[in-house]
Amino acid sequence: MFVLLLVALLGSCIVPLSARYVGKGAGFIVALLPFGLAAAFVAYAPVVERGWVRGEGIAWAPSLGLDLTLRLDGFSFLFCLLITGIGGLVAVYAGGYLTDKPRAERSRFFTLILLFMTAMLGTVLADNMLLLIVFWEATSILSFLLIGFDSRSARSRRAAIMALQVTAGGGLALVAAAAMIAQVTGNWSLAAVAGNAPQIVASPYGVPIILCVMIAAFTKSAQFPFHFWLPNAMQAPTPASAFLHSATMVKLGIYLLARFEPVIAATWWGRTTLITVACVTMAVASVQALRAESFKSALAYSTMASLGILVLLVGLDGPAATVAMIGFLLAHAIYKAALFFCAGSVLHATGTGTLRSLGGLARKLPMTAIACTGASLSMAGIPPFLGFISKEFLFEAQLESSWELIPLAIAVLVNAVMVGVAGVVTLRPFFLKPVKPVKVEHPESVSLFMPPLLLALAGLTISLDPDWITRVAIRPAVAAVYGRAVPVDVSVWHGWTPMLGLSLIVVAIGAAIVRWWRSIHAFLRDAYLIEEIGLERLWETTVRGLLRVSAAVTGWVEHGDLRRYVVTTAVALVALVLWSLAVAGAAIRWPVVDALRPAEALVALIGVGGAVAAVRARNLLTTMVAVGITGFAVAITFMVNGAPDLAITQFTVEALLVVLLTALLLAVPLDAARSRRPRQRAGDAAIATAFAAVMFVAMVDMTGAGHPTPAADWFGRMSYVAGKGLNVVNVILVDFRGFDTLGETTVIAVAALLGASLLGARKTEPQPRRAVHYSFAAASGPLFWLLIVASVLILWRGHDQPGGGFVGGLVAALAFAVFALARGVRSAETRLRARPTTLVAIGLLLAVLSGLPGMIAGGPFLSQLWWEPPAGVPLPKLGTTIAFDLGVFLVVLGAVLTFLFGLRREGAR
Amino acid sequence: MTILYAFCAAAIMGAALYMILSRNLVRILLGLALLSTGVNVMLFVAGDFGSRQPPLIRAGEKALGEAADPLAQALILTAIVIGFALTVVLATIVVTGWRSSGSLDARDLDAAEQPDDPEIREPHAD
Repeated sequence: MFVLLLVALLGSCIVPLSARYVGKGAGFIVALLPFGLAAAFVAYAPVVERGWVRGEGIAWAPSLGLDLTLRLDGFSFLFCLLITGIGGLVAVYAGGYLTDKPRAERSRFFTLILLFMTAMLGTVLADNMLLLIVFWEATSILSFLLIGFDSRSARSRRAAIMALQVTAGGGLALVAAAAMIAQVTGNWSLAAVAGNAPQIVASPYGVPIILCVMIAAFTKSAQFPFHFWLPNAMQAPTPASAFLHSATMVKLGIYLLARFEPVIAATWWGRTTLITVACVTMAVASVQALRAESFKSALAYSTMASLGILVLLVGLDGPAATVAMIGFLLAHAIYKAALFFCAGSVLHATGTGTLRSLGGLARKLPMTAIACTGASLSMAGIPPFLGFISKEFLFEAQLESSWELIPLAIAVLVNAVMVGVAGVVTLRPFFLKPVKPVKVEHPESVSLFMPPLLLALAGLTISLDPDWITRVAIRPAVAAVYGRAVPVDVSVWHGWTPMLGLSLIVVAIGAAIVRWWRSIHAFLRDAYLIEEIGLERLWETTVRGLLRVSAAVTGWVEHGDLRRYVVTTAVALVALVLWSLAVAGAAIRWPVVDALRPAEALVALIGVGGAVAAVRARNLLTTMVAVGITGFAVAITFMVNGAPDLAITQFTVEALLVVLLTALLLAVPLDAARSRRPRQRAGDAAIATAFAAVMFVAMVDMTGAGHPTPAADWFGRMSYVAGKGLNVVNVILVDFRGFDTLGETTVIAVAALLGASLLGARKTEPQPRRAVHYSFAAASGPLFWLLIVASVLILWRGHDQPGGGFVGGLVAALAFAVFALARGVRSAETRLRARPTTLVAIGLLLAVLSGLPGMIAGGPFLSQLWWEPPAGVPLPKLGTTIAFDLGVFLVVLGAVLTFLFGLRREGAR
Repeated sequence: MTILYAFCAAAIMGAALYMILSRNLVRILLGLALLSTGVNVMLFVAGDFGSRQPPLIRAGEKALGEAADPLAQALILTAIVIGFALTVVLATIVVTGWRSSGSLDARDLDAAEQPDDPEIREPHAD
């Protein structure tokens, strides 16, 4: 079965492509897939016939309870036959129906229909409930796409969204039900639910589980009060309506209820609820079916009524109810799909779907008329059609069950209305005289009349020769739903029974409805039916209200003011730290007070002074210089505290920042007028002070905690032994934490790409050369080479001495910065010869490649390898870290140059 | 000395936050640069602050002796470079924004959050 599902899935993606190349016969080609699958499923008939179950399973994510388990029993088998059989006919029909559409559209339609078929098969075959939910939601989404197939029509889009909201909402209820069941029983299997019914009902989750299952089923099967999406869904192209909204998808709710029947039956209220909802739905649908103006919506409401009958039959007790449910499911799928096809043909031929303005089409669409008559007779329950047998079953089930007469009375009335609708939709368009002549634009074609004709024929042959279908499908399905084998006697003549009497009453009332349809219809149209309109409106108002609330909340949270975002973050941070301090109640730990070294203290205080000056300065140039002072003070602080690597990096970065930011400041006005009101400034100052205070307290506490640093100790001990390097900082960067460094290098590379795309796109006109003092211009050449040589040295010796790729790249960039300042950006670019982004790409590639030799040698990615010369040979030790560090060097150099060239050019414009 | 450094780091970060709260984009940018400097000092203080020897293994020895915390330094080194890249990217965005909108005020940078803007609205609305 996995293979079949996989074939269906792949086929859905591939086969419809043929519709792009084949015009007329595309439907027949596409139909090969469903028909082939149908044949493959029929091969399982011998298994199912014996009442056996076929299961297949693959563990997928066992820790989540998610396994790919499939299960084919009689009930699933019946569904599979319906899905693939009718699916094939739908494909054939669609080939004839969509002749007006461009080929790409047709191909898209076929893809969606076949994908839908796959999802349906998955839903009825899935045993793991999570898997079932995946397929279940897939059917909702594909239904959405098919209803909204004509995406340019606002009505289609509205109908599609409504169907999605209702059915996907029901799907969420199903997720909740499955989760609760798994919580109670520890089992995600659908088949195990029946056995665990007492446990599920007895648990505190019992009531919510059943309610959620019912909501899922009622939304999918369009039961009151979730029924309003189905009539709107008739916006879908007719083949889709025939397939989804009558024959298959809407029956998934019935499928679910039937699977959960043991659980529902174990409560005192379960059956009552089902029967009540079913009766209300039937009543509403009957009235609406008589009110409906168009062919399709009359069928849609009668489908809703039929679904109500099916829910009713699930709710009734006794084996006869199950037999009737299965029988009606089959009969309804066959005749209703045929009727939808006929409705589609009429719509396609005349361009109008209103029943009142149609008439006399039997002469122009003779085959369709025959098919429609056959299907209608089955729907009306006229012997010897299948519909008659299923109606007999229905009445038998009701008479046998222990229920009151009200459901029976409603069922009789509903069936009478169905007779009426069947009569009207056949007589009116095809046989009665039209009010004014109807023009036929498209004559019927083989692919348009063959599918309904075949289905109408099937309705007749099954009832006349029911042996095979009873044996392989009906009886096993009944046994699967009811829990044990039940004798099923499918035959037209049962003798003089009460059921026959009821059938006669039904037909008599139905005939009266047909006779007086015009006046009934007119009367009902005049009556303002508040409930139907009310529910649909209520739903739309609710959805619109939700959107409005969400827009309001978004507008409030996401106000678009950067300053308020930062204020919120900072205040929240301070409040969180204070709150955790208050909750923990721990006293702040103080570090051992060490001696104050005046020179270093002065440097640090100069850094603070820079920061304060930056805050106070109103001129942006001054601010930049002040920030730079802080940077240099911090660099010196690093240097005197045993961090030469950091010091060189910080110095270089500060120097580069000056070059880059002056380019920015050349472009923008330097005078920063006050952008905040005095009160805002005071508030900000308070927030900033509180932030600083909290940070100070946190830092004091951190330093007072003592220093249990096993990681740092480990790196210190292993650096030379394992990493062959004396500079521990560099060994950590390129070796121990190489993967982190690769990530950071990638960040810089991405920043370079961003800079290149923001800055590099524009063509720049040649710039006038700015006057530079000749001594600077003359010195820039030697200075450039000096810095380049220094950068290579820094890179090379980085493993053992302060230095490395990051610093080396920055120093090399500094060389180009000096050159560009002295002789212009263009000469610096010429000197580079390559584009900066090329350097970035080469560097990143080099860094990644340097990790491969270690992998080939058997270690993880980026394990660095070393080769040490034998003693006495005057060669340096070589390692893959050099390639890695060179990669970092090139990425940093390329990235800085991207910004340097781009910003300087942008600033000079 | 430790407490003094902690104070300096906190003061630098506080000043940086005050600048970030401004509405002038260049001041915000410089404030972020200042903030990353302050945070680097904080990381440095949070590391092992006991020794002022650089974490270099002496020639002939196999393991690191008494020295400053190498782990914190490795962390800060990349942080400096990333902070620099961030500042530069922001500078690029500020300068392109200035070229296209002629404003350095953060309040004018809300085009993406104006759903009524016809250019952002869904194209097929009818």
